[in-house]
Amino acid sequence: MEIRNHLFPLSIKEAIEMLKNEGNRAQLIAGGTDLIPAIRDRSNKCEVLVDMSKIPELDKIELLNSTIQLGPRVTMDQTENSELIRKEATALAEGSSLVGGPQIRNRATIAGNIVSAQPAADAALSLFCLNAQLKIFGVRGERIIKIEEAYLDVGKSTIDPTSEMVISIFFKKQGDEEISVFKRMAKRNALALPVLNCAVWIRKKEDKFSEVRIALGPVAPIPIRIKRAEESLKGEKISLKNIEIAAEIAAESASPRNSQFRGSGAYRKEMVKVIVIDAFKTALYRLNVEDF
Amino acid sequence: MQKKIKLKVNGVWKYGWAQAGQSLLDFLRKDLFCTEVKHGCGRGDCGACTIIMDGKAVNSCLVLALQAEDTTILTSKGLGTKENLHPLQRAFIKKGAIQCGFCTPGMILAAKALLDKNKNPSREEIQRGLSGNLCRCTGYKKIVDAVESAAQEMTESSRNSNNIEEAGI
Repeated sequence: MEIRNHLFPLSIKEAIEMLKNEGNRAQLIAGGTDLIPAIRDRSNKCEVLVDMSKIPELDKIELLNSTIQLGPRVTMDQTENSELIRKEATALAEGSSLVGGPQIRNRATIAGNIVSAQPAADAALSLFCLNAQLKIFGVRGERIIKIEEAYLDVGKSTIDPTSEMVISIFFKKQGDEEISVFKRMAKRNALALPVLNCAVWIRKKEDKFSEVRIALGPVAPIPIRIKRAEESLKGEKISLKNIEIAAEIAAESASPRNSQFRGSGAYRKEMVKVIVIDAFKTALYRLNVEDF
Repeated sequence: MQKKIKLKVNGVWKYGWAQAGQSLLDFLRKDLFCTEVKHGCGRGDCGACTIIMDGKAVNSCLVLALQAEDTTILTSKGLGTKENLHPLQRAFIKKGAIQCGFCTPGMILAAKALLDKNKNPSREEIQRGLSGNLCRCTGYKKIVDAVESAAQEMTESSRNSNNIEEAGI
């Protein structure tokens, strides 16, 4: 079935009405960089597109008190170049800067990166370490979920683009003793699938880790937080040895598959240690911690 | 479903019937005869179909024609004329940055979008600015050389014209 209609609602409410009227045959389109190829190769069977591009105010990046809020049409290019995001949500700026190439980043949205639910998505992974939450509005009303709850399986999200819309992505900005970092291994710098990616968020207190978050992809069907490794560092002294222990736990928790495109599972499991340690070193450098 | 849309291509308003689901690339080539926009991979991997839409470089294969209603589009044909080439076009010829030529229209527009934002990019910034475009012939070095040389020329000529203005000539 080909696309038989392409609708341009002027408000979120109207968009949801349109989705409702078409049952599950209609789907929301934001940047379209995943959806358009999927429609073309028939892996997506939607018949009607409900386009968000004419709904005003959806492309805002805002700071409210200490919470950063992204609208659903905020693009990778925006988060890559926003001063606020670079300074206060560094991992997101870094992750978005590695998605596709410049042309893709000018169209692709952060919300779309989440709903596409790929375990290797660079921008979405950084939201795991920032503990982001999503506000969703749809046929069944409004709900707020944690980023982890947006994922079911490879390419499958709990957010259903045939009946609901992510209306906001929000997370706390980095505080004084806090920093985040995003690292990636890939064959090329641009237009490449990551072999591994890793996002780390740290809060330090004097010479100790007060709290850390470690997110890894694609080492499971969905992006994952390595909570056991996070716990192992909580309250511990900032030292290379402690970081190595956490990296070891992260590698144990990861179950990367053998992949023709990404490399063997055994190799990538080994590399988890390297990328986690590397992420911590960069993060600590940014917090001006040099001797550890 | 089809709809008559208007869009400004290279400074001229154009009208055409766009189909739901039709790519902007297909619409530009088949309905508006802009065959300078090249159809490469059709999935955003190669950058051959790059155009500048409302000031931003995009892959026209990943934009739908109906989304381009009322937008302003620049293709390589709108950059310069045969008699009066754009500095980027001149530099690509001078530096031998063209071999088969298939990637060139997209490459030049990605470079234009970069120079619009950053008048004096480093080689690394040029490489990054062109990272969404593949070239299977040149090995990229001459392309980067060309963009670097065009950027220099453009900076110098804008400096000269400023000097002329300041001198009141």
